[in-house]
Amino acid sequence: MSLVSGPGRAGTTGLPEELRLVIEPHVKYIQSLDSRRDELEYWLTEHLRLNGLYWGLTALHLLGRPDALPRQETIDFVLSCQSDNGGFGAAPGHDAHLLSTCSAIQILVMVNAIDELEKKGKGEGGGKMGVANYIAALQNRDTGTFAGDEWGEEDTRFLYTGLNGLSLLHLMDLVDVDLAVQYIMSCANFDGGYGVSPGAESHSGQIFACLAALSIAKRLDVVNVDKLGRWLSERQVEAGGLNGRPEKLEDVCYSWWVASSLTMIGKLHWIDGSKLTQFILKCQDPENGGIADRPGDMVDVFHTVFGLAGLSLLGHPDLEEVDATYCMPKRIIERVLG
Amino acid sequence: MASHGVARPAISVVRTDEQLHEEQQRIQEYRDLEELIRAKIAEEQYTVEVLDLTSKLLKENPEYYTIWNVRRRLLIYGLFSKSSDSSSPSKASQNTSPTDTTQTSSIPSSASTSTIPADSNTIQHDPISQTRGKTGTTLDLISADLEFLFPIMMKFPKCYWLWNYRLWLLHQANERLDWQIARGLWTRELVLVGKMLVKDSRNFHGWGYRRTVVAQLESQKLHGSSMVESEFEYTTKVIHGDKGLSNFSAWHRRSKLIPKLLEERQADDPTRRQFLDDEFDLIIAAMYTDSYPYAQSAWFYYQFLMTTLTDPVGHATITPNFTSEERIEFLVRQLEVLKDMLDGAEDCKWIYDALIEYTLCLSRMEERQLQIDEKDDCSQWLTELRKLDTLRSGRWVDLELDLRGNNIPGV
Ligand SMILES: [Zn+2]
Repeated sequence: MSLVSGPGRAGTTGLPEELRLVIEPHVKYIQSLDSRRDELEYWLTEHLRLNGLYWGLTALHLLGRPDALPRQETIDFVLSCQSDNGGFGAAPGHDAHLLSTCSAIQILVMVNAIDELEKKGKGEGGGKMGVANYIAALQNRDTGTFAGDEWGEEDTRFLYTGLNGLSLLHLMDLVDVDLAVQYIMSCANFDGGYGVSPGAESHSGQIFACLAALSIAKRLDVVNVDKLGRWLSERQVEAGGLNGRPEKLEDVCYSWWVASSLTMIGKLHWIDGSKLTQFILKCQDPENGGIADRPGDMVDVFHTVFGLAGLSLLGHPDLEEVDATYCMPKRIIERVLG
Repeated sequence: MASHGVARPAISVVRTDEQLHEEQQRIQEYRDLEELIRAKIAEEQYTVEVLDLTSKLLKENPEYYTIWNVRRRLLIYGLFSKSSDSSSPSKASQNTSPTDTTQTSSIPSSASTSTIPADSNTIQHDPISQTRGKTGTTLDLISADLEFLFPIMMKFPKCYWLWNYRLWLLHQANERLDWQIARGLWTRELVLVGKMLVKDSRNFHGWGYRRTVVAQLESQKLHGSSMVESEFEYTTKVIHGDKGLSNFSAWHRRSKLIPKLLEERQADDPTRRQFLDDEFDLIIAAMYTDSYPYAQSAWFYYQFLMTTLTDPVGHATITPNFTSEERIEFLVRQLEVLKDMLDGAEDCKWIYDALIEYTLCLSRMEERQLQIDEKDDCSQWLTELRKLDTLRSGRWVDLELDLRGNNIPGV
């Protein structure tokens, strides 16, 4: 059945209910996330607050409702998460980490508030420089990769978030981009994919991180497109969804990591987009909004944004176009990076 | 916030007043505990009591990375240095700034400075007995912490911070303890990760952790030597175990070990040739005996072996000195194997996919156009692919264009 022209369920015209993108419930769901302070879960997930805000805000942008969260409150909250060293923690009082730092920059860019960072930002050099210096100091100058924080765990995800944040601030020249590219190349495997570090198994999440980093560095030419495209296209399973590694279960979040990777190497047409679209739509909670990892499961904002972003890559008509490298609205990336 | 595999209740559950009250109480307790830890740390109370408070919180919420960091600071600024009767905490904290750890924990090297204040400038005791006295208690702290982590890791095997913190502890052992003792700890880790991989043979963190542990056990610092042979054997064992054929993690690890293995064996050309033969036999026998040739992991490994024949970058991994005649000879033989495999597995798209790819490779390696019968075969295999695998029909369109580039009329 084709999603666009299918006859739908007996007795109805247009699409069956479960295959319609429910915009308003998703918006309400995301808006409700910060008002759940009477739930223990709210407090147990504080370590993801800033990432969560980025996920929620991106989802709202894609849903065409960029103003659904109060702008000034958003900016104030983001700035309240900055540590004296220039990095951002997940919430006020949490230690700085590259993942939340990148989220902070992405949020500030989306609400067009980099000038507020310029005025109020902390860290060495203050403003944009304060946070950029924090990021740049996390690059391992011997190998090119990045640590996540002062404690030194290295992972290609951090390399990507580092380049992502710096490029949005137009301060890429603070790090050794060529060395970072060489490091990514050393993570390549025989299947064309990439892992956490040299020798590590290919994983769709890491592949996205490595390709997006290469894309920011404008070095996608080093990718073995054919091999990787084949491996990635085999992530699609009969149910239509995508998995992260061979012979694992499908999961909505891989709709983003796999489909964005395929997009970056120009092979998105190697999977069945209409089946993937159906799979993502079936993972919605049509009443209360939000998207889950698989049909019938609990929704969360993480799967909501990556489900929507996946749908956007597949050209869903009701969604803003997403940028495959940054997972932000394409229009905003064009505004910032020209 | 990112939940996996948690079922959504059919009707949204409305909490009773009692449940609401109970939840508020739990929130209050949690937040009070958090506040208490922060207050103690602000006062620099780096004590066992505060360590216990963090244990309590982390058992409930192992994702709270800032509290893991608090725990690290408790150890390096407080407990490690207090563990010896005569050491000075300030000295230890000077030497073990977090930035210091960045370099030493990620790249364990000889450059990492010992943080045990055993130098004679500040301490007049016999440096050896001093170190020994200290070893006992620092080891106790590290061992206790490793043990504390274990049940939490079994409960949350995908939590990054746990694996991360565990490695940090072990690197602390490298820096602070005699190498024999540190080595003992890492050796136990290999057993532990082995157990975790039995529980979940595909755990991504588990396989990554295994690589790190092995690299440590091989390192000069811990007076180690290569474990390539035993690790290679381990992959063989996993592959032959339950669901082994579809264990992509194990196949991947194997592919990475092979070049080193052959180098260490100082394999000559005939040995390498035999090795490649044996690997082909292994993968093909596996395809025939297990779930038949439908497991994609096995096919990716097959692809890896084939790159040693077809891809200049892959040549070096097994048979660097193969002549192009030898590569062609192996390739021709594999094409025959694949055609035989079709018998009884006509619905296995992987075989058709491989047949087309390697038929094209063969013509390239022989620097010629496809022959008429090869063109017919390819066009027939492509038709099967389109029938069997509709999800990837876009790929088959592109493949058809590739074949057209090879002048296959009518495909
Ligand atoms: Zn997921």
